[in-house]
Amino acid sequence: MVRFIVRRLLVAVATLIVISLVTFGLFFAVPSSPARVMCGKNCTAEDIAQVEQRLGIDQPLPRQYLDFVRGVAVGRTYGSGDFSRACPAPCLGYSFRNNQPVTEIITQRLPVTVSIVAGGAVVWLLLGISLGMISALRRGTVFDRLAIGISLAGASMQVYFFGLILLYVLVYATGLLPFPSYTPFTENPLRWAVGLLLPWMTLGFLNSAIYARLSRAQMLETLSEDFVRTARAKGLSRRRVHLRHALRAAITPIVTIAGLDIGTSLGGTFITESIFGLQGLGKATVEAVQFLNLPVVMATVLLAAVFIVVANIVVDLLYAAIDPRVRLN
Amino acid sequence: MTDTAVPAPRRETGPYLRVEELRVSFDTADGVVRAVDGVSFTVAQGRTLGIVGESGSGKSVTSLAIMGLHDPRRTRISGRILLGGRDLVGLSEEGMRRLRGRDLSMIFQDPLSALHPYYPVGRQIAEAYRVHSPGAGRREARARAVDMLGRVGIPQPGRRFDQYPHEFSGGMRQRAMIAMALVNDPDLVIADEPTTALDVTVQAQILDLLADLQSEFHSAIILITHDLGVVAQVADDVLVMYGGRAVERGSVAQVLRRPQHPYTWGLLSSVPSLHGDADADLLPIPGNPPSLINLPPGCAFHPRCRYAGRNGTRSSTEVPELRQVVERGHLVACHLPEAERQRIHQTEIAGQGVAR
Amino acid sequence: MHVRPAGAADRAGRENTVRGRTRTLTCGVLAVALAAGGCTRTTDSGGGGEEEKAKTQTGSISYEAADNQGPAKAVDGASRGGTLTVMQVSDFEHLDPARNYVNVQQVTGGLIYRALNGYKEDGTGKLLLVGDLATDPGKDVNGDCKVWQFTLREGVKYEDGSPVTSKDVAYGIGRSFAPSLNEGPHYIQQWLYPGGAYNATYKGPYDGGKAVPDGITTPDDRTIRFTFPEAHCDLPYAAALPTSAPVPAGKDTRDQYDLRPFSSGPYKVKSYQRDVALELERNPNWDPKTDPLRTAYPDGFRFTFGLESAQIAERLVADAPADQAALSWVDVPPAVLPRTTSAGVADRVVKGPTQYTWVLDINTQRVTDLNIRKALNYAVDKDAVLKAIGGQAAGSPATTLMSPTTAGFQKYDVFNAPVNGDKAKVTELLAGKRPKLVLAHSNTEIRTQQAEALRKNLTDMGFDIVMKSIDNSSYYDEIGRKNNPYDLYLSGWGSDWPTGSTVIPPVYDGREIVAEGNNNLSYLNEAALSAEIDRVRNLSAAEQDAGWMALDKKIMSEYVPVVPCYYDATYELHGSKVGNAFLSDAFGIIQANTIYVKQ
Repeated sequence: MVRFIVRRLLVAVATLIVISLVTFGLFFAVPSSPARVMCGKNCTAEDIAQVEQRLGIDQPLPRQYLDFVRGVAVGRTYGSGDFSRACPAPCLGYSFRNNQPVTEIITQRLPVTVSIVAGGAVVWLLLGISLGMISALRRGTVFDRLAIGISLAGASMQVYFFGLILLYVLVYATGLLPFPSYTPFTENPLRWAVGLLLPWMTLGFLNSAIYARLSRAQMLETLSEDFVRTARAKGLSRRRVHLRHALRAAITPIVTIAGLDIGTSLGGTFITESIFGLQGLGKATVEAVQFLNLPVVMATVLLAAVFIVVANIVVDLLYAAIDPRVRLN
Repeated sequence: MTDTAVPAPRRETGPYLRVEELRVSFDTADGVVRAVDGVSFTVAQGRTLGIVGESGSGKSVTSLAIMGLHDPRRTRISGRILLGGRDLVGLSEEGMRRLRGRDLSMIFQDPLSALHPYYPVGRQIAEAYRVHSPGAGRREARARAVDMLGRVGIPQPGRRFDQYPHEFSGGMRQRAMIAMALVNDPDLVIADEPTTALDVTVQAQILDLLADLQSEFHSAIILITHDLGVVAQVADDVLVMYGGRAVERGSVAQVLRRPQHPYTWGLLSSVPSLHGDADADLLPIPGNPPSLINLPPGCAFHPRCRYAGRNGTRSSTEVPELRQVVERGHLVACHLPEAERQRIHQTEIAGQGVAR
Repeated sequence: MHVRPAGAADRAGRENTVRGRTRTLTCGVLAVALAAGGCTRTTDSGGGGEEEKAKTQTGSISYEAADNQGPAKAVDGASRGGTLTVMQVSDFEHLDPARNYVNVQQVTGGLIYRALNGYKEDGTGKLLLVGDLATDPGKDVNGDCKVWQFTLREGVKYEDGSPVTSKDVAYGIGRSFAPSLNEGPHYIQQWLYPGGAYNATYKGPYDGGKAVPDGITTPDDRTIRFTFPEAHCDLPYAAALPTSAPVPAGKDTRDQYDLRPFSSGPYKVKSYQRDVALELERNPNWDPKTDPLRTAYPDGFRFTFGLESAQIAERLVADAPADQAALSWVDVPPAVLPRTTSAGVADRVVKGPTQYTWVLDINTQRVTDLNIRKALNYAVDKDAVLKAIGGQAAGSPATTLMSPTTAGFQKYDVFNAPVNGDKAKVTELLAGKRPKLVLAHSNTEIRTQQAEALRKNLTDMGFDIVMKSIDNSSYYDEIGRKNNPYDLYLSGWGSDWPTGSTVIPPVYDGREIVAEGNNNLSYLNEAALSAEIDRVRNLSAAEQDAGWMALDKKIMSEYVPVVPCYYDATYELHGSKVGNAFLSDAFGIIQANTIYVKQ
């Protein structure tokens, strides 16, 4: 177990180094000078050189990368003299557009995305798995057909479309809910939840469609397993057979997919964030791309990679926890 | 057929299980599958009934019908299944659930897939105990499970309790399965191909174990198998099924020593004998088992029967009844005249070796 | 004379909402002065048929003590308190007064810091340029527009309670020369150092530069004097731009100053999370008695960024309780326009012309035949051109070069063509010819649609039109090349303050034509016109406005270098609890100085 985790972490670190190298290369080796972009209009060659010096991009590329890694580990200082900017560890770069260390931007934006994804995941897992399970148990009934129909619609619907419908119905037309906003959980849990209800519903409903279909299929497969028949032959109640025996086995692949989905979503749920005007990581990334705010782009891309890599490890550990046949070494 | 046509060992209590005219059919997209079509038999406590037949003959469907494990929405069951006097056909799901695992239990063919892979073996046995002993605590259930594991011959049962099925060997798993089936001391145990997935030496051990436990618990056992050798080893009575119907029934001695139905002859000749040249002995039955949706008219076996033409078209038009032949308690469903059967058996079949 | 800011190109919002991104670098201030009671009503000729105010402008610099003294006149029914929310698509690029060149930033900046001068408005259409930090809009010491002196009010304090001094104003202007803070307007800077780039010789106080540029002196803490080598009668307007806001040297955080300008106005920065939200709270040291412009009714302002324009408009239409004290400076997108006409919404719409006029430039180097240029003026269907960008909400048909927001504006129409064009006249002028013309357009969705409408219209009228699409980011660079291969292209021009001197000379004086980066996009180069421009420029301030307007008409009558297409309009919404939300003629958006939250 410990060996497994250590080995996976080593692989993860290697993966992240490769990803950071690639992103680094992509963004800092592109022909369009980030300094020119940052300098704006009315910029002389002299001004650009100055910006380059402040960004540290007048150095050769390998040196820049080492500086970046060093910044992550121990922090660094951008520029010198009058224009020096401290960027404490873990320094993921300094955004001169925003005038703040990228790490600070991320720590501001991440809780928004985490909140959206956490609530959304609860909705989609609960709704999706219970819908899928009930339809599997009532296979062929009206409920089943309805659930399959709705989940087909859900799976093929766009976040944009569904989110806007919810906005019109619940906010613009009836005023049942306030327009979404983010309040930190620690500040006011109720306002946090109310403000995020719509994105949770949107993300939850649409993703639950996929989970409903998946868990229905898994559940049907499991229900035909011999061990389920054994459980019934023992005289267990339906409830116990379904929940403790069938669901336990059916849920394993769902955990895998949910783990990866959540990991991917944490990197940013741009469309959801954008429909509901929430300033999460996804919006930060896209805005950074629009404004060619390269340090932020790089950091968010890296962070998204971190989430996916970590999600993979977590999924593997969960898998081992659920299925005793899986051995972690 | 009526009850009186089915002689059974007369006891004060009567047979523990009495199945009468059992019919089981499923509705499928392709049509109605008549998996069991009018089967009757009895099993008394302390006795073992072997049900033999190829796959699709209806033997497993019969056992699942007794256990009440068919999906009620897709299955039609008629006839009577009397267990200790109670009719299980039409019993509510809850009523059936209370009986399952307590009064009657089942040992499945493949213990690896029949045991839940995610739970320790001991817990699965304890669970089977606790569900029918509501007052039993966790510790009592554990003690009972460990005791059962010991009784089915699993060494170090206390340690084995916490192991998962995949950590057990095949034979050990089947022993655990048996322990689970017997944990509530049921009166009827149905063993569905209990040794098929095991290698030969282990097979013998498991069959011995079953026999020992039967003498200890005094249960009635239905042993479902396609292996006549197994039947010969442990059964008292034999029921041969083909195409959802019973074609021959009697004591082990009657059916295996003096078989009267051409299908039974075929089965016997396809069993490798324990002596002589196996290759020369083995004569598989030609053709395939029939479709249960479109059963051949008349005797379902007639398309594969070498002797079907010997009495005109009767075999292909008229369903033969199960009738007593020669000896009391030996019943056969075949249109061949008795004398003809005797002659064919004498001249063509008896030379073939039968296990035991 | 002045650099066309990137945004003169295309106004924010509308162009870019499709991609959800707004480039906000529009021209800064613009303005207008309406003569009191000088409004008349006329009907637009033809097409649209909507009645619009035609404004008659007069000079607007006031030295009247009543106009220049604080406190600002109370608004009837207004109440103090509450927080006003401003919902925006994107964050401000800059709030640093040295870098502030966009109208939304300037209105916001005006809540935090005070420049020497400011525009005083009351919602009736009356707009006056008065002293803000200064006691009056500037004294022309020698009457030759070369030496200007301002006296600061007494008792104006920063957020920390220290007094605002003229040295801080001088330092603020000094730092606006710094190359790293180069985004603001540079009129005063250029006038102090004429010939060559504004900061070729003086680069601000950083890196060892002196604190104050040549030509600025501060004889005492309340006096600042500008001495220019040349006459600049427009200085009072230039002094209303934010570069004259005071910055104490000790509080200068250089490029970080953007995030937290030191307050000399009624509000200070409470928190600023880039791209998310900016919160302003009261500056307790601001004294209303020193301020003739601002009533500062709300206790605070909250700017939220990162919303989409349709979202903002829908929320303001819905007017949910949480959004009732909110407004937006983003134009309502066409898709939401139909929902803004119902009762309960229509009275919350704020609309009106901006300083921008859009014209179809005719490249006079290529199209030399005056009759064809006239024919084009009869041919263009201004209604169709407007429809492509949102119809009446986006603008109104134009017949002049300067916008109705310009001082001294007089509506005229040389051709008197119906708004949909006059085919008979076109046919007559073309005299059997079918000119082949290249129409260039920006490749954005809206501009492409607009060009397509124009192509269809001109083809119907008897021209052969070849379309040429240009990438949006290089559109103005391409058509700004003197030898560009195009005959027709649409362009918009807005002035930095409301006088003709910021429109006619930069756009129609042939002496301004260079190889690249031209503002004179029709490349009209007439010596007689240049002479006229010089003559008007030397008129007294009082006569200039009428002089530019007469020149506007003369250009359209004699040279016909463009087809005036439409006056750009703004169309904004506010919530039901926002009081006194009128359109600022100075900035073309809802004003903030005297706005209030209904309690």
